[in-house]
Amino acid sequence: MTTPTLEQFKHDAAEKTADLHHRAVIQKAIATYDAAVARGRLRFADWQNARSHAAAIKWETINHLDRYLEQFERNVLANGGHVFWAETAEDARVHVLQLARQHGVEKVVKSKSMTTEEIHLNDALEVAGIHTVETDLGEYICQIRGEPPYHIVTPVMHLTKADIARTFQQKLGAPLTDSAEELTMIARARLRQEFLTADMGITGANFAIADTGMVAITENEGNARLSFSLPRVHVAIVGIEKLIPSFEDLALFWPLLSASGTGQAITAYSSLIGGPRQERETDGPREFHVILLDNGRTRLLADAEQRDALHCIRCGACLNACPIYKNVGGHAYGTTYQGPIGSVITPHLRDAEEWSHLPYASSLCGACTDVCPVRIDLHHHLLHNRRNAVQNKFDDPIQRLLFRIWLATMQSPMAYAVASRLGNLALRLGIAQRLLKPWTATREFPTPPKQSFKDYWRQHGRRA
Amino acid sequence: MDVARDNILNRVRSALRVPAHQPLPPTSAPIFPPVTNPEARFREEFAALKGELIENSEALAGFIKGFAGIATDGSELVGNVIGEANASVRECDLGVTSCDCLVAQTGSVIVSTISAGGRALSVLPPTHLVIARREQIVPDLATAMALLRKHYNKHWPSALSVITGPSRTADIEKILVMGAHGPKRLVLYFAD
Repeated sequence: MTTPTLEQFKHDAAEKTADLHHRAVIQKAIATYDAAVARGRLRFADWQNARSHAAAIKWETINHLDRYLEQFERNVLANGGHVFWAETAEDARVHVLQLARQHGVEKVVKSKSMTTEEIHLNDALEVAGIHTVETDLGEYICQIRGEPPYHIVTPVMHLTKADIARTFQQKLGAPLTDSAEELTMIARARLRQEFLTADMGITGANFAIADTGMVAITENEGNARLSFSLPRVHVAIVGIEKLIPSFEDLALFWPLLSASGTGQAITAYSSLIGGPRQERETDGPREFHVILLDNGRTRLLADAEQRDALHCIRCGACLNACPIYKNVGGHAYGTTYQGPIGSVITPHLRDAEEWSHLPYASSLCGACTDVCPVRIDLHHHLLHNRRNAVQNKFDDPIQRLLFRIWLATMQSPMAYAVASRLGNLALRLGIAQRLLKPWTATREFPTPPKQSFKDYWRQHGRRA
Repeated sequence: MDVARDNILNRVRSALRVPAHQPLPPTSAPIFPPVTNPEARFREEFAALKGELIENSEALAGFIKGFAGIATDGSELVGNVIGEANASVRECDLGVTSCDCLVAQTGSVIVSTISAGGRALSVLPPTHLVIARREQIVPDLATAMALLRKHYNKHWPSALSVITGPSRTADIEKILVMGAHGPKRLVLYFAD
């Protein structure tokens, strides 16, 4: 069925696909990424075996998630932290607001977190009158432009230096520059003041370590470290699928995430936070809160066929590999998580009918599955989601009818012969091209020869 | 009674009643190539990431002269090499800390709130100087993690960071810029 979400997707995808400037910017960024990742993988003795190790560890965790969640909670509490279980996005937002009120928070510094994007935390904080600042450079640019992140790892992949310089001029009154370094220093200077005066730091987590009760945060800029070092209160918002069993697992997962996310051996800062400031320590937040978020994840967990989608470590590799993503761009999806992984999980995490079109935004080429560092069977899950959409009758009734007719035709040699002759005639008269306008508008449709191969074979084949 | 907690855990348990297809197991081959000469590898990786190594005490004295405000972690090692601090973490232009260990595989410096004077000292100052001993170099991350667990023996510090080069970003057109939010320079001196 057609929905406003689907119409929006079609509109935005068509517009971006025809935008050659957009295509050039994305291709350049992804080419740089591809070269770095190729080098990054060489640091492993055997990349394929590293993927298998990671898949095995995530499988073990996700398939015993109750046990690991309880162990994680016990350890956070033992370290003096607090754990809040949030069933929905709203539960998580309400709890953050309550903590903010309780601690008299006027300013929040945030480090990059897709989970907080998922629950639309910034809007809720701003409505409550709490000044909220994104501190990752890319996220900061998104925030002052009023745009959602374009990519789960590279939020402003779609912008050029010139675009960002104009944004800084318009929104911050900064002088125009064509230097990425100067632009970075403008942000550094402004955000430094925010860090020094913030009351609460909010982060996500790349991993949650069950056997030590720590959250692991991966970054390059230092903004996450400042966010969990300077304010009085630190809140980490963590999807329940982020668990890994043990501290030692990071010796694999840190390099694996970096190799797939940016091609680095390990990011500049890989941090672990296991609680509030201790008596023997000189600084740090007085309180440490972990919010464990479900928000549809247990629905995905209940689908044993696609459960491995919860292995995802959000490296962004499947986005960068996807021919559809490279054409329609990150914003067209209209989701927090874009690209193949987004098209797999969004129908589970959100309304299955409203997002049933996303699995069709794929050529099923399997490039996503090939690059996934935790071996999620992404392209088959896209196919599973298509099947689910059809079984639930979320698909277009006209399309359904056409497939019925197609099936009946393919099963009857006589119907097939008649249909192929009619189709041949329709193509040669140009009628079919007009009927197939959405396809032929951007593609040449060759006119077929008068005689089909089958007829040719009947006449000449046996003689040869 | 925490209703949300029970609800989530019950949903997890009921979901897991249906088993999921298990992936093919990995082989027992090592995940990373072995590090044969840890010190040489550490130097190579550290330099590639634009970390700066100070090779002798004269060079260190010259380097220190360039900074007016120095904050330190107050450790014995740092005290012996640098002396007393003369500025607070928020006002200094150089933060000096010790570390837990150095990782040859990635050219990393591992710090914690215990080994490096809290959380801010190794990230807030514009330059971070690490004073270490050569014996603190371990071959790889796996060894480092095992060492940390043994060293802290359940009394974990509240925060740890694996620092690999100075702060950086490539958010703008994938162009590498040093000093996004953390230190613009990461400097290392071996005290032995």
